[in-house]
Amino acid sequence: MSKVLGICNLHDTPSMGQLTKTRPLGSLSFLSRYGLMDFTLSNFSNSEIDRMVILAENNISAIRNHTLDGNIWINNTRTGFLRILLNEPLLDRPKFNTDIANIQEHYSIIEDNNPDYIILAPTFFLMSFDFRKLIEFHEENGAEITCVYTKTNRGDKEYLNCDSLEIAKNNVITHSRANVGEGKKQNISLETFIFTREAFDKVLALSGKVSSLYGFRKMVSYVINHHRIPVYAYEFDGYVVPILSSYDYADKSFELLKYENRQKLFLENWPIYTTSHNTPPALYGPKAKVKNSFVANGAIIKGEVENCIISRDVIVEEGAVLKNCILFYGSYVGKNKKLEYVLVDKKARVSEVKNLAGSKEKILIIKQGEKI
Amino acid sequence: MSKKVVAMILAGGKGTRLEALTKKTAKPAVSFAAKYRIIDFPLSNCANSGINTVGVLTQYESTDLDAYVGNGEKWGLNGVHALLTSLAPRQTEEGANWYKGTADAITQNLDFLDENDPEYVLILSGDHIYKTLYNDMIDLHIDTEADATISVIEVDPKEASRFGIMAVDKNDRIVEFQEKPKQPKSNLASMGVYVFTWKVLRKYLVEDAADPKSEHDFGNNIIPKMLNDGLKMQAYRFKGYWRDVGTLASLHQANMDIALDDGMLDLYDVDRTTRIYTQDTYSVPQYIGPVGSITRSIANQGAIILGKVDSCVISSDAVIEEDAECTRCVIMRGARIKVGAKVNNAIIAPDVVVEAGEEINLGKDEIVLISNGGK
Repeated sequence: MSKVLGICNLHDTPSMGQLTKTRPLGSLSFLSRYGLMDFTLSNFSNSEIDRMVILAENNISAIRNHTLDGNIWINNTRTGFLRILLNEPLLDRPKFNTDIANIQEHYSIIEDNNPDYIILAPTFFLMSFDFRKLIEFHEENGAEITCVYTKTNRGDKEYLNCDSLEIAKNNVITHSRANVGEGKKQNISLETFIFTREAFDKVLALSGKVSSLYGFRKMVSYVINHHRIPVYAYEFDGYVVPILSSYDYADKSFELLKYENRQKLFLENWPIYTTSHNTPPALYGPKAKVKNSFVANGAIIKGEVENCIISRDVIVEEGAVLKNCILFYGSYVGKNKKLEYVLVDKKARVSEVKNLAGSKEKILIIKQGEKI
Repeated sequence: MSKKVVAMILAGGKGTRLEALTKKTAKPAVSFAAKYRIIDFPLSNCANSGINTVGVLTQYESTDLDAYVGNGEKWGLNGVHALLTSLAPRQTEEGANWYKGTADAITQNLDFLDENDPEYVLILSGDHIYKTLYNDMIDLHIDTEADATISVIEVDPKEASRFGIMAVDKNDRIVEFQEKPKQPKSNLASMGVYVFTWKVLRKYLVEDAADPKSEHDFGNNIIPKMLNDGLKMQAYRFKGYWRDVGTLASLHQANMDIALDDGMLDLYDVDRTTRIYTQDTYSVPQYIGPVGSITRSIANQGAIILGKVDSCVISSDAVIEEDAECTRCVIMRGARIKVGAKVNNAIIAPDVVVEAGEEINLGKDEIVLISNGGK
């Protein structure tokens, strides 16, 4: 089998406002027990890619807290690894702190492992994706670079600002431009690329000449639009959950409460691994009323919860009524509080105010650690 | 390197009173409280007490238990000076031996203990549910300069004749041991948790091994012999929740004690000094459906609850389908209660399917076990 290095890319992520102020998008809590990056890392792991790096833009401690030693994603802990790379020299120059600059700073990891292929995948398109099929497609076409895309019929509303691709009959991408919502039917780049080692090095070399502000996404577009290297398109026809804004984040979370959607994201024999925290099972009190909700271990629910996502070690006291809420790790909702469309961030406490309400369009966010 | 304390966990019991649950699994590996296995409790207690060298004495159907014990990582017992190993009976030049009794299990592993060269040996049982730090007991053993210290718990005097009873003097020094006495002299029952000064115990084990009349058992042979010889035997009064889960009824009740959250055994300790560690599953979070309900219960990740659940323990990947009703049930991993089925006071073994509309044990107080072999 070919030697493959999987890169989980935490650079160049969509802005999520308050939610990503204290953490990178990749470690943002999702569906009560995951971090977004679990999907990417588990896809590597399930595809038998045992050598992984995380390219961190900043806030490495939040990533470390989530991945711990990384062993849960690794099959053989001697030959496999999960390394976290941070480009320290450029931390105070965020514009230049690109994924390309980061891998260049740590280029020895490429030299030492000498992979045949390098796969780069972001954390904001959630899917159960078998990279082995991508590698097969890439090899069959004798491609240097292949880009994964999905077809959408909602390009006017979804995947805004993502790259929209024009693809020739021979599966080579002829043009790439940002989706500004013109047209429903579009081919959307999932910013997931496989490079041969040579093509990877070519892109790195070229980036030095084109712009030191460009990351991989822009460089691949440049390569496509300037016809430097043929870039093949591989269609992923499975279920994709794009998390491109805080609206998406809440909306997609609630959508996944529906069984039929969940079945499309979580496939049989395709486990999504995440860090274990040794929390006890969830506990439900005598007056608990729980409907259509996800509940993580360690949660104690004594009140009413409907259409909610309740993370680890959350406490919902008796008489509290929560509808369409997302509660992060260790948050607390006191007795008789009424919350609707509220996201209570990590370790925040709602114990003073009686009612809190956001809306479907804009979920109200109670900041990390805040006490109200 | 010599170590202060080495713990030895007796985990070889056949557990016949747990019926089909222990047909292919050793009793300490039976699942408990939706997420755990019974042996997680003594192992986590050791880890939390800073006792990082532990031998698990396995015997009956040990493959599953040996694999579970593994390298100790689940309990953090894989650190630089830590050692967790399962010790099955050896095959030696003289042939293969089963452990002939609790004391023989230790005797057969004298080399393991000699190598670790502890000052004190803590003997534990692999099938007790309790949370504790052993440090106070060990301190008492050292402070009283005892040769052996036995952990005791106060039981209802009417129940005392079911236990091994310790009669003590005013300083809690043990003066007499009565095994299941008709007329108990106290209500202090032995928990089967012992601290021995290793040099003393070693001598007694070697002597006991040479005695053809001995059953090679701590309760029947070693402890009475030590008392007879006038050794200093101290009782340590354990306060708190402790259960031997040797029968279906006691296993069910201990599960209920946690589900009903009446403060008997707190798994949710916030300061994390006595947290119980276990192996996690990679299941999706638990999901409660639009018409499901769950009260007075605990449930683990991967559980799907679409029906009605009250006073239950629901393990990972168990499914309670629409209109199914479960009361006072322990539903083990991967079991499925199909549409409209009603189950009461039952333990549902792993991967069992209760068919649609089936009614089990309704209106009865006795606990039933439903396994793939039937009731």
